[in-house]
Amino acid sequence: MFDRRLIKNFGWFLFLMTLAFSAISLLNLYSASYETGLVSFKKQFVWVGIGIVTLAFVSFLNCKLLNRYAIYIYGFSLLLLLFVLVFGKEVAGSKSWIDIASIATIQPSELVKIAVIIILAKFYDDDYQATPYGFLDLIKPVILIAIPFILVMLQPDLGTAVTILLIAGSMVLFMGVKKWSVAFILIVVLGVSFYSWHYSLKPYQKDRIRTFINPSSDPLNAGYNSIQSQIAIGSGGVTGKGLRSGSQTQLRFIPAQQTDFAFSVLAEEWGFLGSIFVLLLYFTIILWMLDASSRAKDKFSMLVCFGVAAMFFWHVVVNVGMVIGLLPVAGVPLLIFSYGGSSTLTAMIGIGIVLGIRMRKFPMQGEAIDLG
Amino acid sequence: MQDFRNRLFIVTVILGLAFLVLGSRLWYLQVLKGEEFAKFSLENHIRVERIPAPRGRILDRYGKELVINRTSFDIYVIPKDVKDVPYLSVSLSQILNLDTGQIEKDINSALKKKSFKPLLITKDINRDQLAYLEARRSSLPGVIIEINNLRQYPHGVLGASFLGYIGKVSVAELENNSKVNSNDLVGKTGVEKGWESSLRGDDGYKQKVTDALGREVESNLFQEDLQNKKSLPGNDVLLTIDIELQRAAEEVLGNEAGAIVAVDVNTGEVLALASNPSFDPADFIKGIDSKTWSNLVNDQSSPLLNRATQGLYAPGSVFKMVPSVAALNEGFINEEESVYCPGYYKSGNSTFRCWKRGGHGWVNLRSAIVKSCDVYFYKIAEKMGINNLSKYMTAFGYGSITDLGIEERAGISPSREWKQKRFNKPWYKGETIVSAIGQGYVSVTPLQVTMMTAAVANNGKLLKPALVKEIVSYDREEKFKHAPIVSGNIPVQKRMLDLVKDAMVGVVNDPGGTGSGARLKDMTVAGKTGTAQVVSLDNRSDKKKHMDHAWFTSYAPAEAPEIAVTVLIEHGGSGGAVAAPIAKKILEVYKKLKEQREADDNV
Repeated sequence: MFDRRLIKNFGWFLFLMTLAFSAISLLNLYSASYETGLVSFKKQFVWVGIGIVTLAFVSFLNCKLLNRYAIYIYGFSLLLLLFVLVFGKEVAGSKSWIDIASIATIQPSELVKIAVIIILAKFYDDDYQATPYGFLDLIKPVILIAIPFILVMLQPDLGTAVTILLIAGSMVLFMGVKKWSVAFILIVVLGVSFYSWHYSLKPYQKDRIRTFINPSSDPLNAGYNSIQSQIAIGSGGVTGKGLRSGSQTQLRFIPAQQTDFAFSVLAEEWGFLGSIFVLLLYFTIILWMLDASSRAKDKFSMLVCFGVAAMFFWHVVVNVGMVIGLLPVAGVPLLIFSYGGSSTLTAMIGIGIVLGIRMRKFPMQGEAIDLG
Repeated sequence: MQDFRNRLFIVTVILGLAFLVLGSRLWYLQVLKGEEFAKFSLENHIRVERIPAPRGRILDRYGKELVINRTSFDIYVIPKDVKDVPYLSVSLSQILNLDTGQIEKDINSALKKKSFKPLLITKDINRDQLAYLEARRSSLPGVIIEINNLRQYPHGVLGASFLGYIGKVSVAELENNSKVNSNDLVGKTGVEKGWESSLRGDDGYKQKVTDALGREVESNLFQEDLQNKKSLPGNDVLLTIDIELQRAAEEVLGNEAGAIVAVDVNTGEVLALASNPSFDPADFIKGIDSKTWSNLVNDQSSPLLNRATQGLYAPGSVFKMVPSVAALNEGFINEEESVYCPGYYKSGNSTFRCWKRGGHGWVNLRSAIVKSCDVYFYKIAEKMGINNLSKYMTAFGYGSITDLGIEERAGISPSREWKQKRFNKPWYKGETIVSAIGQGYVSVTPLQVTMMTAAVANNGKLLKPALVKEIVSYDREEKFKHAPIVSGNIPVQKRMLDLVKDAMVGVVNDPGGTGSGARLKDMTVAGKTGTAQVVSLDNRSDKKKHMDHAWFTSYAPAEAPEIAVTVLIEHGGSGGAVAAPIAKKILEVYKKLKEQREADDNV
């Protein structure tokens, strides 16, 4: 049943921010892909369109539905991950893509992030025990996180897997964990890292971590990306070189400049002012989401908002940290800003969910108020 | 829920801190280090391409081209730009007809060294290969085609011994010349080396905008940052050589090891400078391969030795002009004084033989020169002593290089001081005696002998020989023009020298003169034969290497000298029988060429 308050309470601010943000990212992509015939620009234009329609659709869904169907959403996304492992299309050594009738490819591992946020929110919503959580209490959520994490690692897509872990970890920590449990988990994480380094990581992944520690050690291979990106960003200076005038971008010195390194393009052509402006936009969006979280009327809504905010936060930190040389090169896109249908769609769905929760912060007709 | 709101506050603080870190890093990169990175990014996409300047040409005295340039297309690979090494190796080896494995190995080892330097694949590909490669270039990133200039020798091996060859620049040469880059070819011997600084052009460069793969980008985006510099070709060097006379000299030498030098008596300009055996300068064009090089170096016949300027020989009797002039001028003899030659000469306990066993009987200066009597010269040498003799040897230029500008050796002009220094032993009289007939310690180059003869013809003016007549820049500006340089005057009265000159005319034209083989009908030739002993008479055998060196030195026409010609045939035997007829042929050609040119001028 349609309620007029939905329009009234619609988060116009976030919605308009998203639109403006999409426009900026498209302009940036226009510049980054000009030399290669604007192919990705045109595709992204379509994806942004699809994304905004999806956003609008998702925002009008009642959050209760997500709660109710959380298991199915989660299960479906795991099926997609299994499907991609078997029938996926291999790109650059990773089986992460599903080819849809050769028109588009989607990357289920991006969409899985939303599913993980929802299932974790559902777990905490169902569970009425007092925080903080002890180790044994966490077995269930750890399993919920571990399944998609392992499936993504098998593709292998280290960047996405780590992002999933970061988002889920943030939610778990936010809900509270006993000190001893935190210590225990840290030990486990360190142990797994040690094991992975010696037995599980691919040589190229090790190289990336090594060159992150010393980028100039191998400027032609793994470190090359990081160095070229930093040269691009630095050479942008305060005001930038101007649209389509960044030599690093236009002469394709920046690797993956339409996807993972899109922020380098922005920083080169629009300078410090441009890159800080975009960072502030992200900051504002995330703050708005946290605000929505704090005003949510139930635990589930609150956690979902928090999860989406965490998703945006970690994407910004990991991606921007990577392009400015603070973190190792890992294939993590900058949401909305990087070319890529799946990540854009994921971001739009996330925003749509938060908008939907936000405009239902007031009790609807015939609904009980439950503040937990 | 209040609990969570507090936690959200903490989360917001963490969020703010994280963004602060990101922002600070951006501040560092873009604001603090911005200018540094801007410079970096500029260097990143501008590649400097050198435009090698062609070397100057080498021409003969009439402007005929002896050494010129042609364009060559050389193939390089920039290893870091190669996308698919095996594919590139196979493609290149198919197009260029090279070994696939070798290319792949070279690229991979260059990659290991992380070298940004272009890797040379092959030089001077043909037109078909070039066309084929150009067509497929877009599928072969990393391949660079460099245009270069290669030496070309229209006259083949002619004049190789003085033109010299080129080779890859050495470390020492690199340090001394700012115009030279590693991998450049520079003159290694001969005129190519001696006039390197004139011949070498000034390389230009072109800055190109390239993308990250090193491919040139058509873009006017960064044009204002680009700098270009044109290459300036080297100067043309006009030699004093007449290539037609040179050709005649090399032809008459044939297979004999030896040298022929022809010099303009009045200017010191070298008209021909032949040395045999020689080498093919074409072998050196692209940098010589090690096998050909080791063959040349280890060849017993020393093809790399320029016998005309570096070959050291006992001059034998052609040397007799020196004691003649010395004894006359110092008053030890006069033209009348006669000496009896019984075929040998005794001094103390030693006996010195004349080349003619039976002896020449009574001889004076003129007949001693005409018949080349040794006893006469033994006697005057003993009379005047080594000090007087060596004074004139030095005056005629022996014992020091003529400073022609190419590789030369000084030879030996023996003296008491020289022997003391060299062997730490006193000088013996017998050594003076053999020095007078150009044996013993005396060692000379054919060029020195020629300059001596020219000095006699010139009334005692010893000229500095010249190999370069003119140097002209590519835009026809004159950089150098040769003018005769007198390097010394022989301290001798003209009257005395005339006696020697008259005797030299007699050598060729008198009945019984040793040099009659050089006699010409329509030009009076003056000359002197020489037959230089290689081993002592007791050790001789019939072996070629024990045979005497045949010498003949001459000038013509005797009345108004124009040209001096010296011939040396290693182990040729008698100078009169072997060397004189060769000199005659050269003089004939000289005369014919001169008449032809005069006829052409009149037309």
